[in-house]
Amino acid sequence: VAKTSLSSPPWPEVPKLPDPVEEAKYHAEVVQKVNGMISAGEYGRLFAVVHFASKQWKVTSEDLIMMDNVLEAECGDRIRLEKVLLVGADDFTLIGRPLLGKDLVRVEATVIEKTESWPKINMRFWKRHNYQRKKIIRNPQTVLRINTIEIYPCLS
Amino acid sequence: MVVLSAARWIRSRLTDRFWRKQEVLKYARHFRGRKNRCYKLAVRSVRRAFVKSTKARAEKKRVLRALWITRIGAASLEHGLKYPVFISNLVKSQVELNRKVLADLAIYEPKTFKSLAALAQRRRQEGFLAALGDGKEPEGIFSRIVRHHY
Repeated sequence: VAKTSLSSPPWPEVPKLPDPVEEAKYHAEVVQKVNGMISAGEYGRLFAVVHFASKQWKVTSEDLIMMDNVLEAECGDRIRLEKVLLVGADDFTLIGRPLLGKDLVRVEATVIEKTESWPKINMRFWKRHNYQRKKIIRNPQTVLRINTIEIYPCLS
Repeated sequence: MVVLSAARWIRSRLTDRFWRKQEVLKYARHFRGRKNRCYKLAVRSVRRAFVKSTKARAEKKRVLRALWITRIGAASLEHGLKYPVFISNLVKSQVELNRKVLADLAIYEPKTFKSLAALAQRRRQEGFLAALGDGKEPEGIFSRIVRHHY
């Protein structure tokens, strides 16, 4: 058929998806390979994306995190960060939908420091109305150090 | 003799005027021109500086989000996807990474970002097939909604 403006639909041609049976085989192979790699320990440094204190952090081992709130844990307490969204190494990444299982990843952190922030100044001023308000705000802050990120070979 | 009332011929004088002015001037020391030395000019400049910093704290959140969106868009274009396509398909695949983390991954973990782009592309194609095929083809694998029990 000659190619005219109405000979083909206006949306782009969608390529057909691969055969579901073959896809399932391929997926199982990939999962087995990654499981083997994890159990053999053939990964270097792991990074994880953790949801904590209503923020998401991209985290590795031995790095510091500072949050703008109080944590009900004493200095020196070991904490396990659940709610891991993503874990990756050099050769593979495990993406959670939306979270990864607790039996798959373990992220441990220690509370290092609980201080207040530097005194921030909040000022409001309207000109020609003799209105100014000045307030000094000190937020409590907590510093955590991420000790380890571990993964266990329980993929299926 | 017993004194019951304070002596009335002593007037109170302001003795720490210098330090009250220093409290304001210390915030103006890095300014340009006479407003880092002269109190009258410094008061006005310091007040404007405080007000601007207060407003900037609310604006910083907007600015950073726009920056992350630009970076994610640029990185997804390198993999052949546009930003709205990328984000909408990631959300439909139940991956809830925020823009800050996606921008960091695009900079520091290019392989991970490439896999996320591939995931978004695959979900997009499954969406097209579901919309155009009208229920005759099997459902896509990546469009399945996962329900967890934690």
